[in-house]
Amino acid sequence: MLRADINELLTQTGPKTPMGELFRQYWMPACLAEELPEDGCPPIRLKLLSERLVAFRDSYGNYGLIDEFCAHRGASLWFGRNEEGGLRCPYHGWKYDTTGQCLDVPSEADNSSFAANVKLTSYPLVKIGDVLWTYMGDPATQPPLPEFEFALVPPEHTYTSKRWQQSNWLQAFEGGIDSSHVTFLHSGGLKTDPLFKGAKGNEYNLNDTKPFFEVADSDGGLFVGARRNAEDGKYYWRITPWVMPNFTMVPPRGDHPIHGHFWVPIDDENCWAYSFDNHPVRPLTREERQAMIDGHGVHSENIPGTYRPVANMDNDYLMDREAQKRGEYYSGIKGIAIQDSSLQESMGPIVDRTKERLVPADSGIIKARAKLRKAALALRDQGITPPGVDPAHHHVRSAAVVLPQREAFLDAARDDVKVKPGMPVASV
Amino acid sequence: MTVDSSLLSSCARAASAAEARFRIDAPVESRSARVVALDDRAADVLRSVADLGWISARFLVCETVIGGGVAAGDFLLRDIDGDPAVLADELRGTHVVVMVATQDSGADAAYAIGKACWERSIMTAGLVLGDGFEVQDAVAALRPHARVLLPTADESDVVELLRALRV
Repeated sequence: MLRADINELLTQTGPKTPMGELFRQYWMPACLAEELPEDGCPPIRLKLLSERLVAFRDSYGNYGLIDEFCAHRGASLWFGRNEEGGLRCPYHGWKYDTTGQCLDVPSEADNSSFAANVKLTSYPLVKIGDVLWTYMGDPATQPPLPEFEFALVPPEHTYTSKRWQQSNWLQAFEGGIDSSHVTFLHSGGLKTDPLFKGAKGNEYNLNDTKPFFEVADSDGGLFVGARRNAEDGKYYWRITPWVMPNFTMVPPRGDHPIHGHFWVPIDDENCWAYSFDNHPVRPLTREERQAMIDGHGVHSENIPGTYRPVANMDNDYLMDREAQKRGEYYSGIKGIAIQDSSLQESMGPIVDRTKERLVPADSGIIKARAKLRKAALALRDQGITPPGVDPAHHHVRSAAVVLPQREAFLDAARDDVKVKPGMPVASV
Repeated sequence: MTVDSSLLSSCARAASAAEARFRIDAPVESRSARVVALDDRAADVLRSVADLGWISARFLVCETVIGGGVAAGDFLLRDIDGDPAVLADELRGTHVVVMVATQDSGADAAYAIGKACWERSIMTAGLVLGDGFEVQDAVAALRPHARVLLPTADESDVVELLRALRV
């Protein structure tokens, strides 16, 4: 359980809130690069950390993320015309560049300096990999660009998707470090999903439904180790890294691509689940990429032209009771991503954690909440930069390894949980 | 009978943060817990933690292994006030045992308590306070019998875990 005031602290990410300020210390995904596919393309509306914004790519190829509303009368600039190095409000013609600087107020005199005094809030927007990243904090403390492996491998090695989740970011994120649900909720997928099936590690998962857990600090957050019995008195370890505040990875299976998530708050009752796959050694095969596009693995099949899953709250996630009975899908819901979102959304937009009954197996979640709270308060009260801001903290991988019983998972697998460009992941 | 699925989902769509406050109204029964210090420094930590006030947690200090055979139930403990306690008695009716260690000297005790809990199907968790190699053996001893293990340099994790478990 969590006290009500701490639950509020961790789930509220708007401006001037402690967690909101914490999130504003980091570069994080603002949108997919595919959403702004060419110079001068239509702008998109974004809501991030409860702020309403517009992202656009001007006619010269510059990316911008600015306040959604025109400084004149508050009309949405999503209706704007993307023309000649700026976004022009169609209401009265005020025009802004990618930094939010007003370039033109047509109603003013030709040589008026009025426009120079008008500037909208703006944030940097930078393309790295398939993602456009933003930093919404104080420009004076802007950290170096992020260095997550999935965004740095060659384009043909990686794939990123996103989906809208109708819940607070924290309950989505907590699913990302909760290894114990996999054996139940995702058991069907371990046998059938083209991006999971066939790995030796799946047998360990399915044969041992009561894993042991170890939770260890890392420079950027945590490593959560889930231990199951393997043969010859050895343990099968699945190691999940968390980089603060909202990056998690899923331990790999066989030679399948390695995957993970960013959990980005839209507002306090909605978040984006960014899901990626990458293979550090080889390009994704055509079949793998198509499986990701089709919503297999950690990805979702979305309503065309949107990032809302086809299976969503409005249609009961296309519940299939017959498949549930057969065991094809343990919960009756198809797909790993929707299996998670269906249950996390069922908890309500912001789950009341004063009423939950945690068990020792939830220690990863308990520890993560404590680290988030302490980091948010240390930032607010002492100005301490939180873990995970330093790009060196981004150089982590998940791993799946078989170790002798006496070996501490993090000692034995220390090299396996570090990024080694071009080298294979540790996987079973 | 064909049922309109959009009708079925209407309740789910009506979910709101305000409504969530009315969920799970049944009283939450606390689980019975024993929190055991495996060495002297861990005992100091638990003495300060015990002062915070708990619903159903009893705090114990491990001092002696009788006979050296580490058989379940032979383990002598003291409670936080120094009165003797017997492991087998303490485990009766207990739901979870949290062991706290700060150094390798508690390895044998960790093994014995973990084994006794295992035989009684009692959930176990281990908190090892310290950095890396200085507690390596304690971690190794706890590993087979603590279903959850938290090696940590942060003493406040003891309180965080116990509060989260509602003990």
